[in-house]
Amino acid sequence: MKVASPLGKTETAVAQKELENFQDNTKGVTSAVLLSTDGFEVASLQVNKESASRLAAMGSSLAAISSAIAKEAGISECSRLIVESDEGVVAVMKIPNLKPPLALAVVASDASMLGQLLWGAKNCCFVLEEKLKKST
Amino acid sequence: MTNDEFKILFTGPMGAGKTTAISALSDQECISTDVLNTDIDQCDKAMTTAALDYGFIDIPGGGVRLYGTPGQERFRFMWPILANNAAGVIVLLNGEHPDLDTHLSVFVDAFWEQGAMPMVIGVGRLASEDFDVIERITDILLERHISPPIFSVDVREKDDVLLLVEALLCQIEVNEMGMMQA
Repeated sequence: MKVASPLGKTETAVAQKELENFQDNTKGVTSAVLLSTDGFEVASLQVNKESASRLAAMGSSLAAISSAIAKEAGISECSRLIVESDEGVVAVMKIPNLKPPLALAVVASDASMLGQLLWGAKNCCFVLEEKLKKST
Repeated sequence: MTNDEFKILFTGPMGAGKTTAISALSDQECISTDVLNTDIDQCDKAMTTAALDYGFIDIPGGGVRLYGTPGQERFRFMWPILANNAAGVIVLLNGEHPDLDTHLSVFVDAFWEQGAMPMVIGVGRLASEDFDVIERITDILLERHISPPIFSVDVREKDDVLLLVEALLCQIEVNEMGMMQA
């Protein structure tokens, strides 16, 4: 299995920094993985390598299923998927206009506030798009 | 799922032709979760399945639900989810892949369930007179006391894929008869 990031070293470092900024400014974020839509980890936060790889693969599957069901329902492209439980939230959102296509998977504890979490994650995706599309 | 519908699963490594096989058979537009493939080292193709494929064969009074797994082991968590309630599994292999024997072991181990899961194996991309690969696969499986039907197929040909499904249906029937007699 390939383990190298789909992005170059500089872009990966930029992505890592943005994930850290996101966590610093958003309450309750416990881990996050930036992933290629075919399931490879690009950068990650607060998770070991194995967990990051698994979260990347699962995040890409969820994003792909979300797109398929949105298409089936005739509601255009799915931009975000939210998994809620009593103990926390997992959100997967696509980052548009990048090559290769990327998505962000975020895990947050029950200390998070959903609206704030989603706003922060969306902002993180926007910044990643702006910074990475210049180099991809 | 009604009583007259059942589910069969297509599995196998990346690039074996699972999505193509389901598309060849389905009477309905297939549900696809294809995404851009960045892992050109493993398989040089543009798109790859990230979650599942789904198609449906209409049969009077019922039907066959066709599910396909992703082939990469990083998506292995999807395999048992998709195998749940499957009546049988078709393992598709790329006959010219250098890791063919490993692929065979991985997918047979993942889905055979000690013989509880009816199974058929389809091997693609073989020359028409090339029986060596089929023999080798047969020998490997016989050493493990496993003897599912094995066919050389072109998954782009509907008749070839139908042959696999019909063979699997026979396996399912034999399996059910065995369970009734037990």
